[in-house]
Amino acid sequence: MSTIISNLRPCLPSHKPTFTKSTLSSSSPPTTLRVRATFQDDSKPPNTTQQQQLNLSVLRFTFGIPGLDESYLPRWIGYGFGSLLFLNHFLGTDSATITPAQLTTEVLGLSLASFSVALPYLGKFLKGAQPVDQTTIPDGTQQIFVMSKDIADGLKEDLAWASYILLRNTNAIAALIFVQRDICARGYWNIPDVSSKEILLDWFARKIEKTDLFDLKDTLYFPQDADSEFPELVSKGTSSLLVQPVLVTNKSAANLPEPVGFILLSTAARYAFSTKDRAWIAAVANKLGGWCGVSLEFKPQ
Amino acid sequence: MEAGTALTLPIHLSKRTAKSPNTPFFSSPFSPFQTRFRTLNLSSPRSSPSPSSADSYKGPKPKRDFLADWVSQNDDVVRTLPIYVGAASLLTVLLNRALSGIAPVADAGSSQSRADLLTLGLAVTNILTGLVWLSIRPKSIIPVVPEGVECKRVCTGLPEVAVTELLWAWESLSDVTCCQSLIIVYESSCVLQIGVAAESSRGNGEAVSVDANKLMQGSIYQGVMKSGAQSYLANLSLYPGRSELPFLPPNTQAVILQPLGEKGIAIIGGDTIRGFTTSDQAWISFIGEKLDSTLAKYEKHLHVS
Repeated sequence: MSTIISNLRPCLPSHKPTFTKSTLSSSSPPTTLRVRATFQDDSKPPNTTQQQQLNLSVLRFTFGIPGLDESYLPRWIGYGFGSLLFLNHFLGTDSATITPAQLTTEVLGLSLASFSVALPYLGKFLKGAQPVDQTTIPDGTQQIFVMSKDIADGLKEDLAWASYILLRNTNAIAALIFVQRDICARGYWNIPDVSSKEILLDWFARKIEKTDLFDLKDTLYFPQDADSEFPELVSKGTSSLLVQPVLVTNKSAANLPEPVGFILLSTAARYAFSTKDRAWIAAVANKLGGWCGVSLEFKPQ
Repeated sequence: MEAGTALTLPIHLSKRTAKSPNTPFFSSPFSPFQTRFRTLNLSSPRSSPSPSSADSYKGPKPKRDFLADWVSQNDDVVRTLPIYVGAASLLTVLLNRALSGIAPVADAGSSQSRADLLTLGLAVTNILTGLVWLSIRPKSIIPVVPEGVECKRVCTGLPEVAVTELLWAWESLSDVTCCQSLIIVYESSCVLQIGVAAESSRGNGEAVSVDANKLMQGSIYQGVMKSGAQSYLANLSLYPGRSELPFLPPNTQAVILQPLGEKGIAIIGGDTIRGFTTSDQAWISFIGEKLDSTLAKYEKHLHVS
């Protein structure tokens, strides 16, 4: 097997080298000098800092009730205690002679209750948190898998594979891939009651024309209420929507990226696509873009 | 992986965008990535369109969520905020009771006492929530720059479509994950060795080549083939079988061994301990199936070459 080898600059660690000079023996020639280099890693934090970190994991608990999310406990306590503060104010035995001190406490308590209600929402955006809600299937949708005819075998295989892994590895419940007039739709869609794939493909083509997504060059991500942005394309109840353009480099136009299609993913859960998800979806779009040549004679019908 | 991807690695990005004249397969219609995961603003959960892209798209665009962006960018502050709010409220309630001249009795007989108890309960809830958020903060692990030389070895017997797919797999893994080295062995041949590799002992700047036959006789390959499942070595330094992977940089932190059907294996080396997330593992598994399907079509080309 013949191989092509291309070796570039060696990758050396960025540690600081320290040099020590060994002593010269009297018998060795005076021109010989040995230098030893050792590397010190200054980037690692000292072990003492790690030892001083408190183990707060003992505070985590669960009620053990299936389906109950304990991260929403501050919200429930905020609602409950806030309601009790109201009741105490209006129905308490001393309500006729409320003192300034009590008013102060009640105002402080209601502020704390409001803050407690907001805590789960803030916690969704912390690093390592999973902001996505549970995925549900919107009513009135049907599971479909249609693809345009007369697609090259390799592209057909890639479209089928891409739609499959996008639905499997993300929170999407519906995927629509449009690459140079070829359509691949898979998942749960709110479609007309037709049995013919040709009619269904024509239906998708007309919906795509109305959305003006042909010229999209940047990723669009709507983490919530996406059905109000594209009501003609996505089902009612869709919350998260991601549109990833499929680009190719136009060598005749100074290597500028030109759109040749897009990948559209939707789901009923909010904040469904994390940064990692979006990166992988961009990778899939890049693969599909590899099937499109630099010829950009694409016009929507 | 979320914690380790905030760093940008301009060295690797510039190396991948440089086109070597000795590698004709780079003239294939494989288009460069339009997004680089490691250069994205990871603190923002939203992606808004770039204003500099001269976009002719006129449709709806997402609105910027300032609160979400602020929380993501001030993670440490937000995690401790409930603690400070709860502690300050607790002190305020106690001061309010002390300065108002109310008798310090621990019962709920008066409206004032009931209001104080409810507010104290809310304050404690906030403090405990802040402490829980601190306990679940992901540990930031610093990536290690791999020691070795850049290497690009691709089996030239393969048709362009297969080579394109192999290179796409490498670009995807290196851009989205902490992958720094990728080796694919299929049908007793090293089909792809790319990324950073261990430097040969001859010291001439060449990479250690992959001895496919020796690898296939080792316990790592045998174990993966026997189980048929992906194997994730999250901390490679703890694994005694590390010596069977001499072609990887000596300071490779994590390795994923992905079987390609029954005929091959993909070895993915990363620069961060536990750097591959569950999502990465799932994607690598499916990419492995795709590569197996593609290479199986052209396996006769491997034997001819």
